[in-house]
Amino acid sequence: MSSAPQPEWSDRSRELSQLLARTGLGDRAAFATLYRKTSAHLFAVVLRICRDRGQAEDVLQDVYVSVWRAASGFDAAQSQPMTWLTSIARNRTIDGLRRAQTQPRLQTTSTDEEDSDVYEATADDRPGPLELLSRSSDARALSTCIDGLAAPQRQSLALAFYDGLTHAEVAEKMGEPLGTVKSWVRRALMSLKTCLERAVQRDEAAAGR
Amino acid sequence: MDYSRPALADRPAAEYVSGALRGPARRRFEALLTAHPALRAAVAQWQARLMPLTGAIEPVEPPASVWDRIESRIGGSTAPVATRTAWWNRLALWRGFTAAAGAAAIALALVNVAPGPARPPIVVVLSATGPAAGAAGAVPASFVASISSDGRAMVTRPITHVSVSPDRALELWAVPAEGVPRSLGLISADGTTIVKKGKVLDNTSALAVTLEPPSGSPTGKPTGPIVYLGKLQI
Repeated sequence: MSSAPQPEWSDRSRELSQLLARTGLGDRAAFATLYRKTSAHLFAVVLRICRDRGQAEDVLQDVYVSVWRAASGFDAAQSQPMTWLTSIARNRTIDGLRRAQTQPRLQTTSTDEEDSDVYEATADDRPGPLELLSRSSDARALSTCIDGLAAPQRQSLALAFYDGLTHAEVAEKMGEPLGTVKSWVRRALMSLKTCLERAVQRDEAAAGR
Repeated sequence: MDYSRPALADRPAAEYVSGALRGPARRRFEALLTAHPALRAAVAQWQARLMPLTGAIEPVEPPASVWDRIESRIGGSTAPVATRTAWWNRLALWRGFTAAAGAAAIALALVNVAPGPARPPIVVVLSATGPAAGAAGAVPASFVASISSDGRAMVTRPITHVSVSPDRALELWAVPAEGVPRSLGLISADGTTIVKKGKVLDNTSALAVTLEPPSGSPTGKPTGPIVYLGKLQI
């Protein structure tokens, strides 16, 4: 499970931008192609957070209806198409989450378990959020920055981001106080930001700008 | 809170994009977004930082029924049109094209509106339709075209850096609601071009830029892909 199938984030961008622009002009064929090329990724993102398959399908449907309506607002100069699409999918999914749906998958974990069991093992055979975080290597800078996070920060961020757990749920899952988890997530985000900004500066310096 | 200050916008934006912000707080934040450009910018930055993380998730093919339901909700059949009509003939059918408001605002800031009693020029923002594939390689960006109110002269300029490979040139077209586009000549990818073709606005519903051979389209009709497109709203 070490080499994950990476959607070639930047390679696909050019084509997807064009499809989105045409979708924004009401081009249904372009929209159909856009769906074919992106729905498996978005469905996976939705499904990760919203574990009920039927509900995930409903969310995905809403996502693409939104995309159809909002595509003319997509600006290729401002954002990457997959970033734009994935953000819509995540927002829809999180908006649709109710506590009732997030509750059942919380299991009480005894604190004397191995840490790796808590974070890596899930009821099904899908990879744990922490494994996903370590796989996110399509952008080298990003993976370097993730490696630089302290373990608890990385774990709490992975649970919150991939599985859509609230801070309280992350705290319960990790067996840590809520305040501690909150500050871990916050620090993880801020470290990522600083680290990525430094990487950009390095790239620019290397390019002689 | 003063969300126009980047430092204050950053933290709620990070919490929003990471998913930590929930329930009523999330909805309040979304309401604030519409009013605060700095907040939107911070959100966009966080999205760019965090969304690539989802690239690690194994794709899952949704069932065909999802697409069927999407299709019925957006109305009509989306069976791809088999007939290959020229893009300028389809242009009239493309509805709902509006240049992004943000881009329009940038454009207005960049275009020097001549002072005095003259009527202001008409400004058309040409949005990237996605650059032509591969080797042709123009980066996504936008052009702005400023047309004198009498329609006799036009100035085009790129809003952001546009790179065109040396074996390609950008050609500007006046696209009528029906019929064949008229060439307005080649335009510069990296600076201002003054276009004097007379009656630019007559029978023109959109401006388009295509990628053509260095000396322009050999046929007098567009031969390359459209890279920028802007509808005239008069």
